[in-house]
Amino acid sequence: MIRPLQRLAGSATRRTVQSSSLRRLYATGAQTLPKSTSPIVSKLDFFNTVTGNGTTIPTYRVLDGAGQPLEGAELPEIDEAFARRLYEHMQLLPTLDNVLYNIQRQGKISFYYGEEATIIGSAAALENDDEVLGQYREMGVLLWRGFGLDKIMGQCFGNKEDTSGKGRQMPVHFGSPSHHFHTISSPLGTQIPQAAGVGYALRRDPNRRSKSIATCYFGEGAASEGDFHAGMMLASTIPSPTLYIARNNGFAISTPSSEQYYGDGIAARGPGYGIDTIRVDGNDVLAVINAVREARRRCLTQGRAVLVEAMSYRVGHHSTSDDSFAYRPRSEVEDRKRIDNPILRFRYFMESQGWWNAEAEDELKARLKADVMKAFKRSENLKRWELGELFTDVYGGEEPWNITEQRQELAGLLKKYGNAWEPWRKELAKFSDGGESLMKRA
Amino acid sequence: MPSTSPTASIARTRTLLSSWASSRPSSRTTSVQCLTQRRCNSTSVEPPPAGGHLPGVATSQLLKTTRDAALRIPGLKWVDELDSSVLGGRETRKMNTYQAIRDAMAIALAKDNTAVVFGEDVAFGGVFRCTMGLAEEFGRERVFNTPLTEQGIAGFGIGLAAMGQTAIAEIQFADYIFPAFDQLVNEAAKIRYRSGGTFNCGGLTIRTPTMAVGHGGLYHSQSPEAFFMGASGLKVVIPRSPAQAKGLLLGSIRDPNPVIFMEPKILYRSAVEQVPVDDYELPLGKAEILIPGSDVTLLTWGTPVYHCETALHMLNSPSPQIEPFVPASLRGAKVELIDLRSILPWDMETVVESVKRTGRLVIVHEAGMTAGAGGEIAAEVQKRCFLKLKAPVRRVTGWDSLRWACNMRSSIFRTRSGFWMLWSRRWHTRSYAFQPNRTLNTYL
Repeated sequence: MIRPLQRLAGSATRRTVQSSSLRRLYATGAQTLPKSTSPIVSKLDFFNTVTGNGTTIPTYRVLDGAGQPLEGAELPEIDEAFARRLYEHMQLLPTLDNVLYNIQRQGKISFYYGEEATIIGSAAALENDDEVLGQYREMGVLLWRGFGLDKIMGQCFGNKEDTSGKGRQMPVHFGSPSHHFHTISSPLGTQIPQAAGVGYALRRDPNRRSKSIATCYFGEGAASEGDFHAGMMLASTIPSPTLYIARNNGFAISTPSSEQYYGDGIAARGPGYGIDTIRVDGNDVLAVINAVREARRRCLTQGRAVLVEAMSYRVGHHSTSDDSFAYRPRSEVEDRKRIDNPILRFRYFMESQGWWNAEAEDELKARLKADVMKAFKRSENLKRWELGELFTDVYGGEEPWNITEQRQELAGLLKKYGNAWEPWRKELAKFSDGGESLMKRA
Repeated sequence: MPSTSPTASIARTRTLLSSWASSRPSSRTTSVQCLTQRRCNSTSVEPPPAGGHLPGVATSQLLKTTRDAALRIPGLKWVDELDSSVLGGRETRKMNTYQAIRDAMAIALAKDNTAVVFGEDVAFGGVFRCTMGLAEEFGRERVFNTPLTEQGIAGFGIGLAAMGQTAIAEIQFADYIFPAFDQLVNEAAKIRYRSGGTFNCGGLTIRTPTMAVGHGGLYHSQSPEAFFMGASGLKVVIPRSPAQAKGLLLGSIRDPNPVIFMEPKILYRSAVEQVPVDDYELPLGKAEILIPGSDVTLLTWGTPVYHCETALHMLNSPSPQIEPFVPASLRGAKVELIDLRSILPWDMETVVESVKRTGRLVIVHEAGMTAGAGGEIAAEVQKRCFLKLKAPVRRVTGWDSLRWACNMRSSIFRTRSGFWMLWSRRWHTRSYAFQPNRTLNTYL
């Protein structure tokens, strides 16, 4: 393997070799091995922690459970308007969650995932044109960037207003180039090495170099995929300004994190890849803002990956296909909601600043619910994209013969059975063109 | 009925041979003689070598030995208008396959500032020399090594391409593309579709050496093209020669879709021909008819193109050792040889048009038979050519087992012998005997 000389030189200065502390050298004159800056020692010493003194990595926090700043904590510079915006977006997520969850229970949309309030803090700490590659609990980033409730609903219903994917993907698989949010896909972890490539592309783009970063979200379960290993390694080895945000909420569906890893969470892995790492209280929005702002700054100045592990607790079920009380006690969830509720904690802080009160709370909740219901009602009655879109966008450029022929085959079937058979007629009526444009081509 | 005893078979063949000579001095005989003269290197009176004079890659007539032939490759599209002040027009240079591939990447890097080349060990020139000097010429920011992770390489390339840049990634051997299967099939192939056309990774090209090399064992020999044949959204391209490699690779790099470009590694050094030095592209999704014919369509791609050429030669001009096994009635067969070039999407029109003319199809590939690309093509052809087929579609492929035993060059042996068995044993039987004018009904 050929390694560039400057990299060797760089690592040598970064990790100072304290040869004076070495009592004996393995061989005279040879203080390190080739391709390594590791000092030679004669004492047999295994280790199993990255902190050096056997403790676990600490969790950074600025507000206590009652919304009061911890001693010595530095709050991010935020004014009342910004704080209100943070709070409103944090409240919007559970409101949306509840509505969509109930819709799902009625069978109106097919699938929905919960959400973590961590997202709003990180979204607020990023620039709006930083590229985001998410897993599927990051709808809050899109809302923060002004994606709008209609498009959220449109995607979940798969109707004509689904600009994320023309109704082709399952609900909550959002995407929008103008909001710099890459379309979500179900396979876990695949976005992690992709984010390294996006980061490298930003570094190579003269208009965005040193201005934008790639940000990649994933859960602690996804971090067990091989793609996590690949992504961390790529973004650090091929220097790419990529911020990795691990949402450690304690569960991957039913699997508790104790069955996901035996080490000190995800943060402990960062130093192994040689990347700056921090663990933050994911239920403390101000701590998340501080941590992500600093992480972003490091990404830009060092041009390499940075890792933030945000610790939280998944209070919702994994998805609507999941009943989490089958594997954890209801009381545990209720306790967490009460003791360590990220929204409540920030509300206490707002109230202590004189920025919030019960009246504002009631008004906000009523307004958000009305907004969400309005978007939902509107979306519910919208038709789907044209049926012909089933066959577009498979390829760019010239369409291959098999796609063309299969479109014609469906068109022929529709012409024959579309009106004659009730189940097909009912289904066709859901498309904005009733399948007309497709049948014309038969 | 087919002869079961070798002696009887030889006797029968001799009879056929003599009857051929006396009763059918037709134009077909002339064409056989022409082919024989064209393909044999020696006209001396000394006895031929034990294996006979066989055209291999080194002496293949399919390679372009002259500038003129290289400039008239079917479907070739020049990318730049020729400056009329340049005297002599387009130039060609003698290159082997890895040099032509290197040339294509140099052009892509020079003309597209967003293009980058990366993979395991590409910075020093690559383990097959395909990226020689590119890092020095274009800098380490554009030609660089990655850590040893195929899923990472594919994912990284998708990320670059999603930002509208040109990513030319290398997987060191096609055998090691499987760790990236998820990224390629679930991600690269589906990004445009799942995002409603708002995102795509069309700028991604994955280059990877493929097929047998003689001593590659299990993991330096594979032909995994059929695994990707069902990944709608991807394109899969396999060139057969240096000029094809350059034109198809430039076409792949600039195609608006992610392309897996599989380079037959045994041809890196062995296939040498004249290659146009200018920037040109060859069309994706288009097959090329290499030798026109009217009796049988022989469809293949990559390295076996040359095995097929050899087999045709053996058929037309068998060496004395095998002569008894080659029925004279087959020797004049006019075989149409087609190089498929693109596996996905494959050129159905050219293949079907050919089979409708010839009524017979033999598909040859190195990969194993079961669920190989040949099966897909055979199914489609029988659907479209049912009334024109005069015999079942045959597949001559690797066995569904350990296909490449070390140091035996067995894939070549396999393909040659398999192809040979096809002529000598299967088609020898009366039911499928070579009779150009028979229709399907005769066999039913």
